[in-house]
This record gives sequence, C-alpha cells and structure tokens, in this order.
Amino acid sequence: MTATGDGFDQSSFPLVTHGHHYEDFSDGQVLVHHWGRTITESDNVAFSTATCNWNPMHLNAEFAEAHGHPDVVVNPMLVLCTAVGLSVEDLSEAGGPFLGVDHANFHRSVHPGDTITATSTVLSRRESVSRPGTGIVTWHTEVHNQRGQLVLDYRRTNLVARRAR
Amino acid sequence: MSDPKRGDAPPLAPALAALTGPSGYFEDFQVGQKMAHARAATVGEVENGWMSKLVMNTAQAHWNEHYLRGGPLGEGRVVFGLITASMVIGLTSQDTAENALAEVSLDELRFLAPVHHGDTLRAFTEVVGTQDDPAHPDAGRVRFHHWGLTQDDRVVFEGERTVLIKRRSHWSR
Repeated sequence: MTATGDGFDQSSFPLVTHGHHYEDFSDGQVLVHHWGRTITESDNVAFSTATCNWNPMHLNAEFAEAHGHPDVVVNPMLVLCTAVGLSVEDLSEAGGPFLGVDHANFHRSVHPGDTITATSTVLSRRESVSRPGTGIVTWHTEVHNQRGQLVLDYRRTNLVARRAR
Repeated sequence: MSDPKRGDAPPLAPALAALTGPSGYFEDFQVGQKMAHARAATVGEVENGWMSKLVMNTAQAHWNEHYLRGGPLGEGRVVFGLITASMVIGLTSQDTAENALAEVSLDELRFLAPVHHGDTLRAFTEVVGTQDDPAHPDAGRVRFHHWGLTQDDRVVFEGERTVLIKRRSHWSR
C-alpha cells in the first residue's frame, strides 16, 4: 500500500451492516434497543442551550428545587430525542424519512444521573403506494428509568426501506 | 403525572419568583391567540451535528457531510427531525413555558420537508386549547400548535404540545 492509498482494494472488505428493513418487522414484534443512556447535567445544559430553551426549570437548580424537584428537570425534548436516538439502529437507520410522532406523553420527570432505556413494539406495517420499494411502519416506544418507572411513551411512524431485490 | 405537587405550600420566595417574566401564566392564554416568536436560530454543527450524536442517533445522514450526495434529500447533512422540533419549541419557550410547571405531551408532530445545516428556523404558535387540571388546582393545561419555518418561508415542521402552566391567581400574589 502506498502513502496515497493507491492500490488499496476496498472491495475485499465486506460491509458490516446495521439496522433492519421493512421485511424484518412483524405486527406485535418487540425490540429492546441497545445501550441505554445515563443523562447527565452536561447533556441537559448542552441540549437546552443549543435549542434556545433557557427555561429555569431546566437550567437553574435552585428554581427547580423550589418546585419540589431534587435537581434541575432534564429537558423533556432531550429525553424524547435520546429515546428515539437509541431506537434508530433497530427501527429506521436502514433508510427512509421520519414521518411523525403521536401520543407522546411525559409521565414523570428525568433528573441528571437518571438512566433511560427504550423498547418498541411494532403496531402496524404496510407497503407504501406512492413510494415503491418502501414500507410505512408504526411503533409504540416505551422509555423507562433505572427504577423501572415509565417516563415517556410515544408512537413513531417512519418510511422504511425494503430489501433490494 | 407523578411530578411533585405543591399542595398548600407558599408561593416561591420573592428572589426566585422574580426570575421569570410577569406574563405567560395560565390566565394569559386564550384559544385562537397567535404568536410569531421574535428569535430565529440557524442550525449547524452544534445544533444538529453534535446534538444528533449526543442523543445517540446513529443515522449518519445527520452527521456525514458526504453520505447523501446525489440523493433525493439534498446535499449535505439533513437535520434530525426531532432536533428541528426541539429548536422550534425552544424558540417558543419563553413565550409558552416561562411559568410552566411541566411539559405534559406532544402529538401530531410532522416533518414536512428536509432541513439542512445553514438553514434558519423560525417559530410560530397558536393556542388551540386550555383546560383545568384536576390534579393541579394551582395550574392549567394549555395546548399549543407550533409551526417551524425556514428563512425562505418553507414550513418544515408542525405539531401540538400541551404544557402545565401556573395560574397567576395562585403563584403571583
């Protein structure tokens, strides 16, 4: 191999693929998503400031504690984004636009140091009429904290690629 | 919700109560009320590139500049839809949640067109519902419809959001 990479045969390296296609989903199927995530104070500060959400319930611990919380309340949008992020490889990474989120309910507050995990159940799947080669899948995702308490649940719908034929 | 309830506790200490604005209590929101929010924000490395990875989104279309080249979503990195939603809601937050107790729910979030790095998001809101919350007599629920537009007036996001908001009658004495 030369310093410029001339002669490097990329084709001899098989691609390590991730994610699922439309054909991999079936009604009622349960997917336990990878990794989990401990949400830290720095995550909450970075996310809340980057998204222009300077609300003191998220960024002023004295203020949040005066409302009965043990610490700042993690921005619920960060909880939702992280839950969806953890589910992307299983549900949507193989391709297709994000169509929507419905019935998202924030059941309890998340505080810095809490760890969330996400699990999804396939609610429905159908082939797309307007976009051949893709399907539309809806999942119900539940997000729990380290104590097993439900913190969030929602329905998410995505266009999902079919396997190339 | 199981968030802390204040019960008959006294209102906030004056030094804390002074930290949030005088408007934005439950009584201030009327169905049909519309707001164009004053601040807009440009999406780039911090807002999408970093935040998409921070929230564990493994889809490289959000953080690989060369992945989508030649595809139907346009050139460059496409912004994670929920980052767009989070920014639109963030841009509304001072006008919709300044005196909120909790975010309650989201519904009918729709991602209508791709957003790319360099686009600027603007936020618009209409109040579509107000209701009492029996579990929180010191507050009420307000349902907002939000829209996110780009600098060139494309509607890229819309959705509904319900927030539990303090009643002035209880919290601002």
